Amino acid sequence: METVQSYREDPGAPSRTPAAAGGPAAGEALRAAESWFASRGWQAFDFQRQVWEAYLAGRSGLVHSATGTGKTLAAFLGPVAEAVAEDCRATAHLRVLWITPMRALAGDTAHSLAAAVAGLGLGWTVGLRTGDTPPAERAKQSRRLPSALVTTPESLSLLLSQADARERLASVRAVIVDEWHELLGNKRGVQVELALARLRHWNPALRTWGLSATLGNLDEALDRLLAGAAGLVVRGVADKPVVIDTLIPADAGRVPWAGHLGLAMLPEVLQALEGSRSTLVFTNTRSQAEIWYQALIEARPDWAGLVALHHGSLDADARRWVEQGLKEGRLKAVVATSSLDLGVDFSPVERVLQVGSPKGVARLLQRAGRSGHSPGETSRVSCVPSHALEFVEAAAARRAAQAGRMESRRPVEKPLDLLAQHLVTIAAGEGFVEAELKAEVMSTRAFRDLTDAEWRWAMDFVSRGGEALKAYPEYRRVEEVDGWHVVRDAAIARRHRMSVGTIVSDASMDVRYLNGRRLGHVEESFIAWLSPGDAFVFAGHVLELIRVENMTALVKPGRPGAATVPRWQGGRSPLSSEVSDSVRELLEAHIAGRADEPEMRAVARLLALQRSWSRVPRRNELLVEQCETREGHHLFFYPFEGRHVHVGLSALLAWRLSRTRASSFSMAFNDYGFELLSRERFELGPLIRAGLLSPDNLLADVLASLNAAELSKRQFREIARVAGLVFQGYPGQPKTAKQVQATSGLIYEVFARWDGGNPLLAQAEREVLERELEFSRLARAMGRLATSPVVLRGTHKPTPFAFPLMVARLREKLTSEKLADRVRRMQLEFDRASEEPGEDAQAELFR
Amino acid sequence: MTECVVASERLVLLPQRAAWWPAGNTLFVADFHLGKAASFRRLGVPVPSGTTTDNVDRLERCLAATGAGRVVFLGDFLHSAEGRAERTLATFGEWRASRAALDLVLVRGNHDDRAGDPPATWNFACVDPGSVLGPFALVHEPATVRGRYALAGHVHPAVRLSERGGQSVRLPCFWFGSRVGVLPSFGAFTGSAAVRPRAGDQVFVVADDEVIRVR
Repeated sequence: METVQSYREDPGAPSRTPAAAGGPAAGEALRAAESWFASRGWQAFDFQRQVWEAYLAGRSGLVHSATGTGKTLAAFLGPVAEAVAEDCRATAHLRVLWITPMRALAGDTAHSLAAAVAGLGLGWTVGLRTGDTPPAERAKQSRRLPSALVTTPESLSLLLSQADARERLASVRAVIVDEWHELLGNKRGVQVELALARLRHWNPALRTWGLSATLGNLDEALDRLLAGAAGLVVRGVADKPVVIDTLIPADAGRVPWAGHLGLAMLPEVLQALEGSRSTLVFTNTRSQAEIWYQALIEARPDWAGLVALHHGSLDADARRWVEQGLKEGRLKAVVATSSLDLGVDFSPVERVLQVGSPKGVARLLQRAGRSGHSPGETSRVSCVPSHALEFVEAAAARRAAQAGRMESRRPVEKPLDLLAQHLVTIAAGEGFVEAELKAEVMSTRAFRDLTDAEWRWAMDFVSRGGEALKAYPEYRRVEEVDGWHVVRDAAIARRHRMSVGTIVSDASMDVRYLNGRRLGHVEESFIAWLSPGDAFVFAGHVLELIRVENMTALVKPGRPGAATVPRWQGGRSPLSSEVSDSVRELLEAHIAGRADEPEMRAVARLLALQRSWSRVPRRNELLVEQCETREGHHLFFYPFEGRHVHVGLSALLAWRLSRTRASSFSMAFNDYGFELLSRERFELGPLIRAGLLSPDNLLADVLASLNAAELSKRQFREIARVAGLVFQGYPGQPKTAKQVQATSGLIYEVFARWDGGNPLLAQAEREVLERELEFSRLARAMGRLATSPVVLRGTHKPTPFAFPLMVARLREKLTSEKLADRVRRMQLEFDRASEEPGEDAQAELFR
Repeated sequence: MTECVVASERLVLLPQRAAWWPAGNTLFVADFHLGKAASFRRLGVPVPSGTTTDNVDRLERCLAATGAGRVVFLGDFLHSAEGRAERTLATFGEWRASRAALDLVLVRGNHDDRAGDPPATWNFACVDPGSVLGPFALVHEPATVRGRYALAGHVHPAVRLSERGGQSVRLPCFWFGSRVGVLPSFGAFTGSAAVRPRAGDQVFVVADDEVIRVR
């Protein structure tokens, strides 16, 4: 990709505004861009011209449209045309910084940028810098950065942590943030905001362009990106028509009540694949993708080599091979996760299948948009429900899409853990003067409301280890030298660089064949459960574990049979409120005989059963079912508010119930409702009249309940990692690094007990409230429930609605009983295999 | 008081996560990890202070309750060389001075090998693993010792308990097998690891202020 020929002296002056703006040279530059387009048989879209002109006029903005509709060139040709106009054919300075959320996309993006650069006759270099960049390439970049650099938010922060950051980055004129909607709703978005503030500090004339899928809150997305400065929202090409339908089994009796795999629909899926040249089969989890791939290969062995698997834990080479195969039309079908949501076009793809819940309108449309790129085609996505209520969801998602109800992504507000990380990053780089950096941080939207106390805390946290009164003499991370804050200890700086970023993953382990070929990685905790000789399914193969060494699981091909499938941690996205509202509407319409979608006909029998055993709730009713089984007393609530809200509501109600008498609850939830399981029976009627569902004291009660259910302890995991309290470590690390390894759970307990006022604990609470429980949505839901008629039904056995909750394996617990009392009731969980006492069993155990 | 019998000797298991051997006038403590929080701070992780004081207070409560004349630390008394912070050492040193007559024995563990022996003024008898005390062999990492019942630490053992309805809880435990007994970690800033006891083992969990036999 190195295309350096000759060098001219490039001014690279930080505050340079576009000299060519709107002048005759710019017109010429745009003509050059157009003629390059023409030479490739393309014609520029109006929106692309609009973005080029705006860029050349010194403006910033946001372009939104479906993927693969020319946004890349809309954003990139402005800076390139400017260079042509300035006759800056080659440059020794970084001019364009391209930020992408996914490493996997970086390579393809760099290729298209390089093609544009060459097409317009520029001698610019285009480079890549991500976690995958080999050390040799990094070393070259540390001598000189390319003219245009494609990188991730994490790698950009790492550049900021280098001592010569200003020298190397002050020349940047344009930053393009690709797939901004992917970053906007999480801490990585704030990480980008902070980095942009730094770049603008060095070059106030910096132009920023975001590329985004269509969102419900585009204005907010722009505002965040530009830190409140004025900018343009440009709509890309109009979305092409999308067909959303559902695979319906011929025999409605085959629709399962519960489950998440959807394998009952295998015959319909095979038929759909038959009828299409190339199909993308999206699943919601990696395990599900592995299982579906196995099922397809087993059903159609003749498709071996034509069907492939793609997810984020597979080796990068394997993923590239699949992507290439899709582009070239060699593959009949690819089973994929969100790893293929983004990125370059796969023109041959004719159809998309969505296995399991579509979750949201925007997500479904994004996935649909991966198909039908050839001229004259429409995008088509077919839902493959894994259980009965997902048929309703599919129809509801289509209704919401037709009504244009698009979800928003809510940005993160002032994450103090990330602020602490950023302070160390900058201190490890060129260092900072406190007042200057404070102003810079507060210039971002994320931190505009930062209080003096919060800033003070973050400074104390990184320099003294805590509040001034509790200073620890042995602590040092950021030190002050003549008013300049720096990291002096090289080991601390190195460790910080190892853990920059906000992506928290479980410790993972490489999976390799004995010959060294790498298949990908799985979580360490999964391998820990296996013994040598056990079979598991990964990367589309049945594998047998040989042994584990040096953080690598060595495997050989295994025999098909009882093989387990790895599970990966990771957030489960809830049903969006747009879709869940639509589900409630649809159920009511169904009762009234006004919903005649094919999906509703498919589940008519099940809904009839639900009506005869209990009830199908009207849009504004709350249905509660109560029944007893061998397991205990079950309460099922159906607010239809999405999984996150149900996590919060279930903890809240369990907590309120447990206050009426000492009791313990096991809770399960899905997108429709939640279950409280206890040993005792509660008489709900009087309790509801006494305020069980009241919105009074909501915040206090929710906070108490989430502490009782230890939810913030879990959220603290990410915070501890981002704030640098937990160091993940790396292979071959020195002994000193091992000494600072502790689990976030342990750190949480120490903080909760000895430093309860620490703002990081408050942040954990806030994050659980906002991210995990969607508190504002929960509060709205409580408001609705408080005025809704409650329909309480006792049932003899779990109803069709209750069944999926009853069989849910992921459960939370909440108790108001004394620990010792519970322990006396409990059984030790033990491994049956180890029950047979061997001769001198312990001697084997401890030799 | 929860008691158990191992190697025909009566042991009293304390909820402070220590074991008292009345016949030997001895208190057994495993994995004290003195200075762990300080070593985190020295390496740039601001763990709050309070854990050392808590460790010393709990040790003092054990001695007040039992009147033991000797404390045997079953390894990992000091966490690391970096953790030998002034304030941490002072806290333990003051306590030692107030209990000058007490016999302190350290069975060196893997952390002690790097962290070094305690300061000489604290007057510890430092011994290597395998030393014998009556019917017991004192070790850090669990190992069987011919002719003796081994008392060990190192593992920070915990077990998971469950009840119907899918509830479960993980608690630190005392774990006595046929030839080796493993004590829970004593240090306030230490984690735990799930173990799988075998048939015939005696297991006692620490549930807040009680020790309860679960097997």
